[in-house]
Amino acid sequence: MSVALLGHAATTAVPLAFDTQLKIGQPLILGIVQGAIYGLIGLGLVLLYKSNRIFNFAQAEFGTIAGLCTLLALNGRLFGISWHMPYAVAAVVGVLIGTLTAVATERLVIRPLFNRPKVILVVGTVGVLLTLIAIESLAFPQGDTLPAFNDPKQGAVTDLKDPSFRVGFAGYNVSWAQVLTLIVLVALALGAVAFFRYSRQGTAILAVSQEPTAAQAVGISVSRVSLLTWTLAGFLGSVAGLLALQSTLVGPGIVTGTALVGGITAAVLGGITSLPGAFLGGMLVGLIQTFAAANVDFRGSQSVVVGLVLLLVLLVKPTGLLGSEA
Amino acid sequence: MTRAGITARGGAYLVLGIVLFLPWFTTDFAKFCSLGAIYAMMGLSLNIVVGYTGQLSLGHQGFLGLGALVTANVVAQADLPSYVGIALGVLASAAVAIVLGLVALRITGLYLSLITLVFGSAIATSLFALPSLTNNNSGVQLVRPPYFSGNGDWYLVCVVVLLAVYYLDYRLTASKTGRALLAIKENERVAEAFGIGVTSYKLLAFALSGAIAGLAGGLYAFRSEIYSDKDFQDPQGFALALLFVVLCVVGGLGNRLGVVVAGVFFGILNDLLDRLFGIGWVKDVVENIPLLKGYYGANKGSLASLIGSLLLLQTLLFNPGGIGGQLRPLSRWMTGNRFELHEAAESGPAAVEGSSVRA
Repeated sequence: MSVALLGHAATTAVPLAFDTQLKIGQPLILGIVQGAIYGLIGLGLVLLYKSNRIFNFAQAEFGTIAGLCTLLALNGRLFGISWHMPYAVAAVVGVLIGTLTAVATERLVIRPLFNRPKVILVVGTVGVLLTLIAIESLAFPQGDTLPAFNDPKQGAVTDLKDPSFRVGFAGYNVSWAQVLTLIVLVALALGAVAFFRYSRQGTAILAVSQEPTAAQAVGISVSRVSLLTWTLAGFLGSVAGLLALQSTLVGPGIVTGTALVGGITAAVLGGITSLPGAFLGGMLVGLIQTFAAANVDFRGSQSVVVGLVLLLVLLVKPTGLLGSEA
Repeated sequence: MTRAGITARGGAYLVLGIVLFLPWFTTDFAKFCSLGAIYAMMGLSLNIVVGYTGQLSLGHQGFLGLGALVTANVVAQADLPSYVGIALGVLASAAVAIVLGLVALRITGLYLSLITLVFGSAIATSLFALPSLTNNNSGVQLVRPPYFSGNGDWYLVCVVVLLAVYYLDYRLTASKTGRALLAIKENERVAEAFGIGVTSYKLLAFALSGAIAGLAGGLYAFRSEIYSDKDFQDPQGFALALLFVVLCVVGGLGNRLGVVVAGVFFGILNDLLDRLFGIGWVKDVVENIPLLKGYYGANKGSLASLIGSLLLLQTLLFNPGGIGGQLRPLSRWMTGNRFELHEAAESGPAAVEGSSVRA
């Protein structure tokens, strides 16, 4: 994530013991944006937990695949043919391939292991994660920087020449990519709510998650629902990855390294079965992390604090904030 | 057993012993072989948690790192003898593992694997990277004890320790404790109703697992002759944790022989690939293969990791017994039974070997 760093407005004149901007304002903005990405990853995890009762450790890696494929689509070269796609097209290609990876995972790994113990399925997703990272590092040994979606240098979709703009709040620079992240989060959140409340497919997913046998008895195909869930999860993971990678050096395993633990924590904190909980949890984890990084002067305070929060939630309230079952 | 049978098995053990001894004559290769022995120990350690208690740990590199950290600092900074350093590393890892075991009493299954995942990365970013413990991030140098200073010598130390751990693990499963752990894994409440102290046995399993990992960590620190936290920081640390899971599954969950074989395999795989791909004509061929040519790029370990993950998926999908399951006729023959490719199902303590994991 491009850390759009603060503009120092008024603090240079009087050295304050407590810098409000540094300690509160900046972590607030960064935390919300980071939390949006955790929320998206967490949403995919919740979906898969609802349908398969597992954690998908490859969830964030679909995002890296999407990022790398977007890069490839932007400036590709294969067998002597090179091409430059507009950013929007490249992003669609990336998300599509990320989603297809999830579909392939379901078909090739999850479906054959469906009736095995859950730990075996989880290890299966770990295997998928490792395979994806290994293929990425063989195919993209160097890695490259994914430009921000409005970067004027490469395939900009808008005329916004300035990649960052100044928001009226305490004089911070917030990049358009960060604004986009929030907009996408809100749009997908509303879309998810509508999908599960009003569409037949969404209701079918919920039915299977509550009682697979009864759902089968009324004519819902459990394996089709599983495929649909993985498609949705792959889409969410890919979108989250693209947003997380705006103007970042994309290398193998990058989204897993930066957002997987946060995403899982978000899902658990919000309640592993609750979709709104994943968003809430994502926001909370993002904020806790950035506030800890800004205010606790201790190496690695980010991951330690998140770990403690996770431990506390699991010990005190294993169902999470909004979940109904553990 | 006939006379010929005894002779044949004796010959097989002799060959095995000679093969184990061969890396002593090398220098670079011995270093990778000692890594293989250390990975095998990590496999046995994780196998106690995954194979015997049925919980998935994704933070076992934390124990390895803790053992290495304590050993390196005790030996290099406090200037104590190396065996004291290794012993303290074992104790520290076991103590932390007991704390994690206390968590595991309340939290099980997926949530526990999550806790261990966070534990591994949190201990690496906080404790392992403390400047006072890493010689201001430049790494703690340590010298191997006298008589064991060469790579080959240290390899022999690793092998002897591995064999000792292997025997300990064998005694564990063959004893009352092993049967108790199996009962707890199958059904905790029933086990408790039969008078098995679930709490103490679970904690014992975690402590033992942590102790073995700490021991492996001490050997690891002396193997590299420097302790640096970089091996355990997150992209590599997480990859290491996953590698241990991979070698446990590929070896065959709950099967100690398979886990050891897989550990050795993954320990030396990188070096073998390096040697193979360094050959001139192999390089010429590989550089024209689209995906494989990435091997000569920035990421050397990625091919080994690809092989490992494909083996993992293959094991899960087609070959649940893992390497251990494949080797079972051979290992049964070596321990004095008849050579049979398809043995009859058996009960009793030996059933610990092949049983699956639940959560």
